[in-house]
Amino acid sequence: MTDDRDARANALLSAAREEDGQRLKVFLGAAPGVGKTFAMLSAARDLKRQGIDVVVGLVETHGRADTAALLEGLEVLPTRPVRYAGRDFREFDLEAALLRRPAVLLVDELAHTNLPGGRHTRRWQDIAELLDADIEVYTALNVQHLESLNDQIRRITGVAVRETVPDAFLDRARDIVLVDLPPRELIGRLKQGKVYVPETAAVALDAYFSPTNLAALRELAVETVASHVDSDLREHMLARGDAMPVRRRCMAAIDGQGQSEYLVRITRRIAERRGAPWSVVFVDRGGLDAERRERVDSAMRLARRLGGEGVILRGHAVADELLAWADREGVGQIIVGRTRERPIARRLGFSLTQQLLRRGAHLELTIVATPAERARARRRLRFKDGNGSRREYAFATGATAIAMALSFVADRFLSVANLSLIFLTAVLVVAVRTRMAVAVYTALLCFLGYNFFFAPPRYTLAIANADDVLAVILFLVVALVCSRLATRLAGQVTSLRAGQVRARALVALGQQLATSADADSIRKAGAAALARALSIEIAMLARDVSGHLKVVNSVPDAFALSTQDLAAADWCEGHAEPAGRYTDTLHAASCWMLPLGAEHQHAGVVALRFPLGTREPDADGRSLAMAMVQDIGQALDRARLAHELEGARVQGETERLRSALLSSVSHDLRSPLASMIGSAGTLLSYDAQLPANERHELLQAILGEGQRLDRYIQNLLDMTRLGHGTLQLHRDWVDAGEIVAAAVSRMHKLFPEVRIDVHLPAETVLLHVHPALIEQALFNILENAGRFTPPEEPIRVTVRSEAGRLLVDVADRGPGIPEDERARIFDMFYSVTRGDRGGKGTGLGLAICRGMIGAHGGSVEALPHAGGGTTIRVSLPLPPPPAENA
Amino acid sequence: MNPTAPRVLVIDDEAQIRRFLDIGLRAEGYQVLLAATGQEGLGLAATQSPDVVVLDIGLPDMEGHDVLREIRTWSEVPVLMLSVRDSETEKVRALDHGANDYVTKPFGIQELMARLRVLLRQGAKGGQADAPVRYDDGSLVIDLARREVLLDGAPVALTRKEFAVLSLLVRHPGRVVSQQQILREVWGATHTQDTHYLRIVMGKLRLKLGDDPSTPRWLKTEPGVGYRFPAA
Repeated sequence: MTDDRDARANALLSAAREEDGQRLKVFLGAAPGVGKTFAMLSAARDLKRQGIDVVVGLVETHGRADTAALLEGLEVLPTRPVRYAGRDFREFDLEAALLRRPAVLLVDELAHTNLPGGRHTRRWQDIAELLDADIEVYTALNVQHLESLNDQIRRITGVAVRETVPDAFLDRARDIVLVDLPPRELIGRLKQGKVYVPETAAVALDAYFSPTNLAALRELAVETVASHVDSDLREHMLARGDAMPVRRRCMAAIDGQGQSEYLVRITRRIAERRGAPWSVVFVDRGGLDAERRERVDSAMRLARRLGGEGVILRGHAVADELLAWADREGVGQIIVGRTRERPIARRLGFSLTQQLLRRGAHLELTIVATPAERARARRRLRFKDGNGSRREYAFATGATAIAMALSFVADRFLSVANLSLIFLTAVLVVAVRTRMAVAVYTALLCFLGYNFFFAPPRYTLAIANADDVLAVILFLVVALVCSRLATRLAGQVTSLRAGQVRARALVALGQQLATSADADSIRKAGAAALARALSIEIAMLARDVSGHLKVVNSVPDAFALSTQDLAAADWCEGHAEPAGRYTDTLHAASCWMLPLGAEHQHAGVVALRFPLGTREPDADGRSLAMAMVQDIGQALDRARLAHELEGARVQGETERLRSALLSSVSHDLRSPLASMIGSAGTLLSYDAQLPANERHELLQAILGEGQRLDRYIQNLLDMTRLGHGTLQLHRDWVDAGEIVAAAVSRMHKLFPEVRIDVHLPAETVLLHVHPALIEQALFNILENAGRFTPPEEPIRVTVRSEAGRLLVDVADRGPGIPEDERARIFDMFYSVTRGDRGGKGTGLGLAICRGMIGAHGGSVEALPHAGGGTTIRVSLPLPPPPAENA
Repeated sequence: MNPTAPRVLVIDDEAQIRRFLDIGLRAEGYQVLLAATGQEGLGLAATQSPDVVVLDIGLPDMEGHDVLREIRTWSEVPVLMLSVRDSETEKVRALDHGANDYVTKPFGIQELMARLRVLLRQGAKGGQADAPVRYDDGSLVIDLARREVLLDGAPVALTRKEFAVLSLLVRHPGRVVSQQQILREVWGATHTQDTHYLRIVMGKLRLKLGDDPSTPRWLKTEPGVGYRFPAA
């Protein structure tokens, strides 16, 4: 330990940075008894003097009087009584702390493991939640509990520490205060009985507190603080925009053997030193046994806990996959363990390390050796799977016996040399079905049988000629090559099958989600797909109006949730992290809870209930479940966004329409009324004097103006609905042709004199729209065109689908619209100020048309018509065609 | 007034509408019964046994739908609903509750008369039970009993679903059949929302019958409500 390093660390730490966000202060010591709690309480008293709201959540005084004296005058939260294994304990009360909400809270012993029944399994998770709730926390930790140092501590002290704290958590600390005590003083305190040590550790006490151990632990503690300061500095420089060297990622390649976790820890330390991001990569070649899979899983879990990233690649050529990934992700350094290299592969230069060395020349390669694990792994391999092996050897022996029997029969007809082919067949059959060892066993057995019974001199094991030597070699080569090929093939098939199951489940889910438009049907489809893919019970939870999480959809229909489950679901949704069974949070729940959305989004939770007795879903199942839940979450998000977008679209059209409403009402409502009142008055006063044709004319006027008024009121109603944002789209599947036909037939009824030519596509084009609104929009365009087109010229209506959109062109032969005014005809003011120019126009029709088409995500535009006149083009998005059932 | 003339019961709260319907219907030769409220209408329907009922959906004392449901508990008398535009769901609901047809306010008197004639003709035959099994307008021949469709003498090959839809419409000549009813009877009760099935079948039917979709002669669309096949 160097003094200047120590000084640097402390100096930097004492200059506390002012910064927003989560505030965690960790009092770090090299060993129990250095005075962490004491330092923490002293700091709390200082704060108290400054008038800051400090509360003690939990402090272990271990009966030390000087520590207990510091507690005086500080508010101490009551602890939670817990009865466990017939004994009473007192635990930190997280609920009470969250309720009390002090500015600063003291919680001792960061590495503590909570007794069952609490919200989290570990105290650091409690503290994480306090930090999330914006409470500043002071806590204490001994360096041996730090996850990444676990191995090292074991090597130094010979004691395996089980309670560890993820390094990623420590990274959240704003301050780390090193509480230091020279080893000699600490040993002195220990001898005076001033250090509390758990009874269980008492045996190893003397060994543990040896001066060398303590010096080493102290070194580690200082190093930890220094590296924390280093990373702070780096972040600080980054924040100030100072140039930093590009940080190349560190990557550990693991193979699921015993050293995987060791490799993860090493990689973390290397990456930490370099300030580089890091990943742990495993290449799945298929055919993993449960034990190895579990080891890969736990290494990945460890990596994530330590702040790294876990990646599983699929493929056969490990080196290819690793290098491709490394290039893609900007990896600068690869860390591999010494693999169990096959001597032949090494001789030929095919071992993984050699391939990486040869082909990854641009990368730094670190090879880490752990001989003990290697030897153990090899032993385990040799003795595993006793039962299966016995069956395989029996099969091999049987095959040899049959070959021998056949040979005895064939011996009468065939030459001796040909009999070896029968044995060769037996070797082949066994080799493609079993492992290499069994194949070699068969080859030897066959050779012995062949040599003893058939090869001259018969009934001896002597080898007379060179042919028989060839036979031995042939048998062995066939056995080796075939079994190797068969093993590889089987592995690939397994891996492929697993991948296929996953792909199929995701594709099926995707298809179901694509056809579900609203949240309810997405949840329904998602629950069904998850239940089918994983063969488990599923419930979808969402908040009801009162804000409680409720099951809205489940497979099977009845799905009971305990209070524990609901608490887990609640936590899971609030923190957007998995909770419940198989996790560290509220693991007493019966379900595994996965969040459907980000934090505070209230998107709901998926509860997955695996059948009783399932220890834990395997990595494939878990990652599939998470991928599917993520897809469902995204679909829900999409549906919500689409809903909001539709609302926004309707809203946007609103303002345009509202402004000109009043000016239009007075003009357009009154003019038809004026002619109706006038005509009726004339009839009433002069009925007898009028000739029949004039009377008829006046009656026609009343009828026509009345109909005009009706249309206008319709427009006003439409506008009001658009204007209030209350326009609700009741979408339905409709034939585009039918909508056009309906608008055209309404035109025919009201304006029989206007001719309309309609050109519809031959096949049915389906729209998913609110039919009445689109019909009204088209009618408004037709009515407008009818006013401008000369009587002898028909209006041409053309309907066609093009590039995912439906286009409806309405072309008139009227005077046309000057280019600069073309965009403005859909403008309310334009239409209104134009007034009577367009004849009996209501002046609102086209604006409403745009509003209604716009609310469906479509557009309307005016184009010049070749040869005079105007074409109004409506463009509507076409939905993906639905399934047929005709 | 001719005592054998058909009786029309008009239930509408608007005095002016009752008035002009009264004048128009009498001019057409019908006997007219007038009611301003749902209760009054129910009383007249029970005691005067009208041949057809014209019922407004919006009444002051009770919903037109409730009047309709009440009537349907004891009578199969044809009911024509009066509804306002933009209430397709109301129309569909009325049809589902047993209304035989509807007209949209404001309506022309001629349109109303045409609908009443269709209803009275079928009412006289005793409702749907004796619905025609054969349609023949000289160009299109549909024989439901023999499951045969001829267009200008040439047989038209229809799929089972297409024929089922067509025959359902033909059995209700001149009257609107709601899309939900078609879906329920042809595809089954779980498919009443799958309108796209119906649109596709309808498109194919029009193609096979040579019915111009822009001005259909046989398969007329009632937007948002259903379809109508003409009376022969």
